[in-house]
Amino acid sequence: MTTWIDASCILIVFFALSILATSRIVGMIQIFVLQSFVLSLMPLFLHANAISAHDLLLSFGTMLLKAALVPFVLFWAIRHISMRSEVKPLIGLGSSIVCGALLIAGAFWVSLSLRLPGRPETDLGLPCSLATVLLGFMIMVTRTRAVTQVIGYLVIENGIFLFAVSLFDAMPTLIELGILLDIFVAVFIMAIVLNHINEEFEQNSDIASQSKMGETF
Amino acid sequence: MILSLLILTPFLCAVSVLLPVRRMFRVWMLCAAAVAHNAVVVSFWFRLPPAEWNGYLVLDPLGLIVLSIVSFLFLFVSVFGIGYFEHEQRLNRTFMTCLLLLLSTMTLVTVSYHMGLLWVAVETTTLFSAPLISFHRSRGSLEATWKYLLVCSVGIALALMGTFFLAIAAHDVRTLLLPSLLSAAPLLSVNWLKLSVIFLLVGYGCKMGLAPMHSWKPEAYGQATGMAVVLMAGGLTQCAFLAILRVSQICFKTGLSDFFSSILILTGVLSLVVPAIFILAEKNVKRSFSYSSIEHMGILALGLGLGGVGIFGALFHMINNALAKVVMFLTAGSIAQKYGSSRVDDVRGLIKTYPVTGLFLIVALLAGTGMFPFATFHSELMVLNAAVISGHYVLSGVAVLCLAVMFIGVSRIVLEMVHGQPTEPLLAKKENPFMNVAIAAAAVALVGLGLWMPQPLERVLREAAALLGA
Repeated sequence: MTTWIDASCILIVFFALSILATSRIVGMIQIFVLQSFVLSLMPLFLHANAISAHDLLLSFGTMLLKAALVPFVLFWAIRHISMRSEVKPLIGLGSSIVCGALLIAGAFWVSLSLRLPGRPETDLGLPCSLATVLLGFMIMVTRTRAVTQVIGYLVIENGIFLFAVSLFDAMPTLIELGILLDIFVAVFIMAIVLNHINEEFEQNSDIASQSKMGETF
Repeated sequence: MILSLLILTPFLCAVSVLLPVRRMFRVWMLCAAAVAHNAVVVSFWFRLPPAEWNGYLVLDPLGLIVLSIVSFLFLFVSVFGIGYFEHEQRLNRTFMTCLLLLLSTMTLVTVSYHMGLLWVAVETTTLFSAPLISFHRSRGSLEATWKYLLVCSVGIALALMGTFFLAIAAHDVRTLLLPSLLSAAPLLSVNWLKLSVIFLLVGYGCKMGLAPMHSWKPEAYGQATGMAVVLMAGGLTQCAFLAILRVSQICFKTGLSDFFSSILILTGVLSLVVPAIFILAEKNVKRSFSYSSIEHMGILALGLGLGGVGIFGALFHMINNALAKVVMFLTAGSIAQKYGSSRVDDVRGLIKTYPVTGLFLIVALLAGTGMFPFATFHSELMVLNAAVISGHYVLSGVAVLCLAVMFIGVSRIVLEMVHGQPTEPLLAKKENPFMNVAIAAAAVALVGLGLWMPQPLERVLREAAALLGA
C-alpha cells in the first residue's frame, strides 16, 4: 500500500503545480476536483489493512464536500459572474512553474530537518503537504482574480488536510468533519460575496472603476 | 446540558428569523435571545456549570470572562438595535440571522476545551461575521468584506496548521483536550510545540488584528455598521485572544513562557507603534477608532507577554476594551445613520445639532484613549506598571508615547466633529432613546469599573490569571 500512498502524495503536489500552470479558471477548478478526489482516498489507502467507520466517513465527507459541493459552488459563482475566463497572473506561467518547483524543493529541504514522532506510514506526507500549502499561497498571491484567490485558499486547505490525514489520527471524527464543513461554508459565503460584488459593479458600471475592482482586487 | 442549550438556543432563534417575518420581529427576537443568554451567563457567576460532551465543553474562569463580555455586548447591541431598525428600512434578514449565529458560535468558542473544536468555532465566527460587514451593500463595504474573509480565512488556516503541529507535539498524549495537554505537559515535544505556537499566534493574531496582521481592520470597521463593529471589535477579537490565552496556558505548563512572551511583546509593541503612525492621517471617525482598536489589542498582547500584574491587567483590559468599544462604535454608528457618513468633512458641529450624541462622542474619546475615571485607564496603567516592574523601561516609554500620539490623533478628529462649524445632517433623524440608553449604560458601567471593582469580578480575574501563571 505504501506505493499507493506515496503516489497519492506526489499526485497532490503535482495537481497543485498544474493549477499554478493553468491559464483558464475552469481548468483550475477541474484540476482542483482531481486533487480533492485523490486526497479523499488517502484515509482509505493509509488504513488499507483495517478500514474503520472513521476512515470511511472521513473519506466520504471529503469527497462529497471538496470534490463535489465546493466545485459546484465555484462553477455556480463563475457562471453568475460576468468575467473573462483567463487567469491574469502577475508573473508569467513559465516563471510561475520555476518558482513552484523551487518552493517544492524548499519544502522537501525544510522537512528533512523535522523529525516526526512515532512511525508514520510514509515519508512523503510532511514534505508534500508543506509543498502544497506553499503552492497554494503562491496561487493566491500571484493570481489577481477573486475566484483564483479562493482556489488558492482551497489548495492551502488541501495541503493542511493532507498533513492531517497522512501523519496521525489525533482528531475525533466529528471535529474533522467540522473542519471540512467550515471550509465548505467559507467557499459558499465567498461565492455569495463575489456575486454581490458583481451585481454592485454591473449596476453602476462606470468603466474606470469596473476595470479596477470588478474582477481584480 | 445547560452549556449545549446556551449554544443551541441562539441557533434556533437564527433559524426562526430566517423565515419571512416582520422586520421588527427579528429585532425583538435578538433582544429576547440576548436577555435569556445574559440571565444564564449571570447565573454562572454564582456557580460554574458542569463539563459536557465528555469534557469538550467546559466553562473555566477564563471562558467565563469572555462569555460574559460576549453576552453583555449582545445585550447592549440588541437594545441599540431597537432604535436603529426603527429608522433603517433595509431588509435585515441576513444581518439578524448572522448576528444570532454569531452569538451561538461565540458562546461555543468560550466553552471549547479541545484545541480542534476551538479552531472550528473560531473559524465559524469569522464566516458568520463577514456578511455583517456588507450590510449596506456599498462598493466599499463589499470590498472590505472580501478582504476580511480572505485575510482571516488564510490566517485561520495557519492556525489550523498550528493545531495539527500541536497534535504532533502531543503525539504521546493522543488527544487535544486541554486538561490532558496540561497534565501531560512534560511529554510534549518542545520543537514541534514551538513551531505550533508560532503558527497559532500568527493565525489567531490575524483574527485578533494584531499588527502586522491588522490590514483588514480599518476597512472592515470603517465600512460595517456600528452594531456589527461592536461585536467584532469587542467580542470576536476577544474570542481570538481567548484562543491565544489557551496557547499561553500550554506554554506556561511546558516552560516555554519566555519564548512565548518574547513573541507577544514584539507583536504588542508593533500593534502600538503601527496605528500611532497611521492615525495622524485619518479623516474618518470609524477608521480612527479601528486604529485605536488595534492599539488595544497591542495592550492585551503586551500585558500577557509581560506576565505578573500584566496578566491581570490584560484580563481586566479585555472587559474594559469591550465596554469602550460599545461606547465608541455605537456612537459612531448612530452618527453614520444620522449623517450618512462618518467622515470629518461631512459631520461637524454635533454638539449643536445632536447634543446627546455629541456628548457621547466626547465620552467615547475619553473611554477609548484610556482617561481617568474610565476603567481603561486602570487596566492600561497595570500593563505599563508590569513593563516597569519587569525592567522594560524603553518599552514602557515607547508605549506611553504611542498612547499619547493615539490620544492626539483621535481627539483631533473627534473635537472637530463635535465643535466644528455645523453641517446639515443628510438623513436628519431625531435622537433615539433606545440607542442612547445602550451607549449610556456602557459608559456608566465603564466609569463604575474605574471607580470600584466588585468582589466577584476580582476573584474571577485572579482565578483566571492564576491559570496563566500570574
